[in-house]
Parts: sequence; C-alpha cells; structure tokens
Amino acid sequence: MSSPVQLGALRAALAALETGRRPRRGALAFGDARLDEALGGAGLPLGRWHEAAGEGLEGETGVAAGAFVACVAARLADRGAVVWAMRRPDLYPPGLAGLGFPAERLIQVRVRDEAQALAVLEEALASVGVAAAIAEVGCVDLLAGRRLTLACEVQGATGFVIRRRPFGGGAPAGAKGSAAATRWRIAPAPSVPAAGEPGLGAPRWRLTLDRAPGGRGGAWIVEFDHGPYPLRVVAELADPLLASPQPWRAAG
Amino acid sequence: MRRLVAVDRIGRPLHLYVHHTAADAASHVPDLLTAEADPAADQADLDAISDWVARFSPAVAPDPPDGLFLDITGVAHLWGGEAGLMDDLLARLAAAGLPARAAVASTTGAAWAVAHFGEGFGAPGAQAGVIILPGEEAAALRTLPIEALRCEAAVARQFDHLGIAKVAQLMALPRDQVARRFGAAAPWRLDQALGEVPEALIFRRPAAPDVARLSFAEPISAPEDLARVTRDIAVQLCTRLETRGVGARCFTLSFHGVDGRARRLEVSLALASRDPASLARLFAPKLETVDPGFGLEVVTLVAEETAPLAARQARWDPGEEAGAQDDAIAPLIDRLTNRLGEGAVWRAAPFPSHLPERASVSRAPLAPSQPERWDPDHPRPLRLFARPEPVEVTALAPDDPPRLFRWRGVIHRVRLAEGPERLAPEWWRAPFDAEEEGAARDYYQVENEAGARFWLFREGPYRSDRPVRWWLHGLF
Repeated sequence: MSSPVQLGALRAALAALETGRRPRRGALAFGDARLDEALGGAGLPLGRWHEAAGEGLEGETGVAAGAFVACVAARLADRGAVVWAMRRPDLYPPGLAGLGFPAERLIQVRVRDEAQALAVLEEALASVGVAAAIAEVGCVDLLAGRRLTLACEVQGATGFVIRRRPFGGGAPAGAKGSAAATRWRIAPAPSVPAAGEPGLGAPRWRLTLDRAPGGRGGAWIVEFDHGPYPLRVVAELADPLLASPQPWRAAG
Repeated sequence: MRRLVAVDRIGRPLHLYVHHTAADAASHVPDLLTAEADPAADQADLDAISDWVARFSPAVAPDPPDGLFLDITGVAHLWGGEAGLMDDLLARLAAAGLPARAAVASTTGAAWAVAHFGEGFGAPGAQAGVIILPGEEAAALRTLPIEALRCEAAVARQFDHLGIAKVAQLMALPRDQVARRFGAAAPWRLDQALGEVPEALIFRRPAAPDVARLSFAEPISAPEDLARVTRDIAVQLCTRLETRGVGARCFTLSFHGVDGRARRLEVSLALASRDPASLARLFAPKLETVDPGFGLEVVTLVAEETAPLAARQARWDPGEEAGAQDDAIAPLIDRLTNRLGEGAVWRAAPFPSHLPERASVSRAPLAPSQPERWDPDHPRPLRLFARPEPVEVTALAPDDPPRLFRWRGVIHRVRLAEGPERLAPEWWRAPFDAEEEGAARDYYQVENEAGARFWLFREGPYRSDRPVRWWLHGLF
C-alpha cells in the first residue's frame, strides 16, 4: 500500500505543518559569543521550555538552578508576568531582587504535588499576559514535556523546569529523553573576590549545557553581573565531560 | 426542673402548654411521649430552612427558636402575588413535613403577631396563612393578646395582672403613662407593629441586590444541564451588572433541590468582573461536587463585593498595554486560586522589618503594588528556610566567622566569609523584660570550597555564660 515515495511526501507534509504552526519567537542572547554559539547562534530560544538541574545537594536545594533561571527570566519580566510554581515555598523575594529580578512581577503558586506543578506550569504558559513560567519538579516525562511544548506555542511564553527532589528523597528517575529545548546542569563555582577586598566576590556558577537545538553544548563558568547581561562568561571549559564537577557532597 | 419546651398539634387540645412542668404534664396525660430538647439541632435546622427559603427571596432573617422573616418586597409577582408566594411556601413546607404558619404584613411586628397569635391558627383545617392589607395592621392586632407584641414575659404578666390582656386595651391607654409604668418596650413594640417606628432586621446574608434566579418546570440533575443553566444564569446576572456599570469579586451559585436542601458553590475573583463565559468556566469544575439528589428545581446566582467597572472594548491582544497587564493575567489567577485554594497564589511585597522572615509578606496577586523596594545593598539568600536549621560550627574565636560547619551530616569548609550583619527585631516587638540584645542575630554569608553560599547566623552576641548557637537560615 504505502510506497517509500508516499511516505516521504507525508513526512514532508507533516514537517511543513509542524514548522508552520510554530512561529519563530526569537531568542534571548547571553551577550557572549561563546555561550550564544553553543545555543545555535542567537541565544536561548524563547517560546520553548528549558530544563535546569543541580547535582548532589543542589538537587535538593535548587539554589544554583533557581538563580540561573531567575537571571534569565528577569530579562523576560518586562513582557509580562512570571509565574513560579513550587511545592515548598522557600523562595525568598529579596534574594530574587538582589539578582535583578523584579519581584513585583512574580506570582508565586504553591502546589501539592508534581502533577499539580506541571498542570500549573502548563496553564500559565498558555495564558495571556504571562512571559515566563517556572516550576520546580522532580522529573518531566516525555508526555508532560510534549504538553509543555504545545502550551509554550500558544502565546510564545517561555517555560523553565527546575529539577528538584524533596529533601532527603531519593534521586528521581533519570531524565531518559526529554522534550526540553535546552537542558542545563548548574553548579556553584568558587568566587574570586576583587584584589585587596575582604569578603566574597560576585557569585559564580558552572553551567553545563547538555542539550541544545542546533548547538553543540558546552560548559562555562559564569559570574553574576549587574549589567544588561546578568551572566558574564568568565571561562569556557574545554570538555564538559572532563570538566564535570565533583558533587560537593563529597567535600567532607 | 424539667419543663416542656414545645407542644405539638395533638398536645395542645390536651391542655399541655409550653413551660409546663414535665412531671405535671405526665400526670395529666399518662401516656405522654416526650423527646429531649436539642437547641443546637433546632438552630441547625432553622439555618437549613433559612438557606432553603432563600429560593423565594434572598433577604432571610432567622428568628430563633422557631421562626424566620422573609422580606418579599418586589419578589411576590414572580408567584403571581403575595397569596401565591405564601401558598407555595406553605405547601412546600407541608410537603416536607413541617407544619407552618405564615402572615404577610407591611410591618415585621404585625406579621409576627398574626403568625404567632392569629385567630383560628391552632385549629385543624384552619387557614395557615393570612395576608394583612396595608393600613389594616391596627385592626388585625386589636384582638391579639399582649404577648403578640414581642415584649418580655414579665412585662406581659404585669399587664395581665392589671387586666390588660388584649392589644386593643393597651392602644387605648396614654402612651407616656404606660411607658413610665411598664418600661418603653411594650409601646415601642406596638409602634413598630403599626409601622410608626422603623425596625431593622438582621438578615442572614447581607442584602445583595445582584441576584439572578432561574426555576425549572421539571427538576434537572444531568451534569450537562447543570453546566447549561450555570451559563444561562451567569449571562442573566452579568447583563444586569453591565447595565449598572459594576462588576463583582464574589459569586455564589445555589442549587435548590426538591429535597429542600441548598447546594452552594462559591467563586471569588482577583479583580471585579462580569464576564459570563469566564464565570461559567470557573464554576464548571465545581459542578461535579453537586449532588443533585432527586433533582434541582431552582438555581440562584448572587454577586457580592461589587465595584464599579467601566465598559471596555474587548481586545484581541490584551497584553499589549502596559497598564493592562494585571487585567490580562486576572483570569489565570482566578483559575489557579479557585483550583488550589485561597492563599496558594500570592505576590510578595516588602515589609519594613529587619528580620529576614518578616521583610517579605504575601499579598493578593493583584493587590496594588507599593513603591517600597528591598535594600539592594544587603545580600539576601534566594532560598530562606521557614525555620532556621541548627548547624555545628567551628570558629577560631567565638566572635569570628565560622571556619567549618556541619549541616545535615555534611561538613562544609568555609573558604570565604562576609559579615557579620547584625539584625535585631524591632524593640517594640521584644518582650518588655527581655534581656538586652538577646534576640539580635549576627548573620554571616559564607562560601564553601565548591562555591556554594550559605547564610548562617549566631544567636545573640557572644557571652561567656551561655553556649554559642549557630543556625543556617538560607542559601544563596
């Protein structure tokens, strides 16, 4: 019945339909060619959803991943509201404000469980007036991820999933396949205080890009900066595999 | 001493009366059946009947222990007049096994008096309802006993001793002398019953002029029917709100079943609105919880907390205007709030306090924002624990920043530290006799060897006579 030619034509038609329904939403540049090129040239694609995870204790506290997402979402907040759904409401708005995030644009939502967090994320992404929506969940399976992608396309909102497991909980099932546009691993990195000054330097994080559309991935050390681009690349790490950080649970 | 609290239709001809001693009553009627009085259950039943009777008029004022007032001004025409309304009400109560008496009058006092003491009410087969035409209150009251004036039993007994048993006799007496002799209550109640003095009723629900009501020829119970009537009644009410130029923040949908029970659903909104489609959408998930029983015959929708709302052109891209951003996300906030519950959706706002846990407060998501900002010069963590967690700290000297600490069984070596920042509660919050500086905390921001940052604090300044305690309050 079906010849390869017919199949090919069908596939082409499907591809045309899919790309045709997905308008270009632009991208959010990180302001550094090394990072932007790894993401395909323009930067973080908007109108899609992204996944950020921590390692070791970070997977429970979700601090570095939260800071990374806040830095990125801060630049979307002038386009609309930002919704942050979480099970444990330990987000501290003054800290967000310190990262340049306009906390008055943030709507926090407390949810009971993972399914509810994903439902809120999906609903927020598909709603008018929302520029970005963030959810803290343990794991997003393929079906939920696909639903999030569709929700992002409704209004062009950008979604973020912070992977965070409950305190003392076991590691969530590994992310076997994910529909996220990009997937990041975020870890803290030692800061460097300015010469001759006591105290701490600007916070630094190690970003590892595991998956990017049309990009190649990579790993970088970035430093928080109060300028127009909050994440300034300090160093590019040669090979993300070689440079994979030791989880700091092993520090003791 | 045990007394009778209520006597039923069979008991009254046997010369049993309220306040009758139970032992005496039992000697009069040897096979007397009594049941223990349960005022709480009576009150609950009266509340339930008040809820149900709201299907006739929303202005219901319970009159414990056994009565209720219904303000039917302007609603009687729906039943073809006052007589039709009263007959329908009494027939439904009788069908539910509740013998009742009703009176319609221009004043609360006259209606109460006639309903409680009207002629022939007790007799079987007598008319259960009476309508007193406006201006005939005095004539209707004349033949009634003094108790009909809702004055205290002691006052009524005093009148009785003087041979004044009927209201007509009281009417004939000069008012000021009666007031001086027996107190102002009786003449005042008489004036109220005659409509010469105003009387206020305490309604069960605040008077809400924005009510829509639909009644069905046949009871409905199918879920799709419920959804449809919800849409219809929302359109009906919202049209009325629009002509008045207002929107509402709180909507109550009540389904009145044939069993006389009202099923209430509530929806509250972040911003005043009158959009029937979104209102029906908010009610839709709650309709599943409605148990229709043997069918629902009346539905009412009440709008409360109304606020002026200017008519506005609907836009296809409401997010475009900067000022319209709140309006744009209001439907999302309503959906989330109604699904997750009040308090599950919030926006943070600064609060002038030094204590970190008090410096940020939750506000309603669409409450007007304030110009205050958090001080950007003081670093604050991204995650703040609701309860600080105890940590074991090693420091070189008691006043030094930590060098090493153990949190949740993991030892962190401190590479860099910044502090202290001393934060104390406001003096007016401390107990009056609190020891000096006891509640102050010294906060340190420390970084471990991996670069993770912690917000630790030491409880109070160092004193040699107490142990140094450290807590972890947040993570950067």
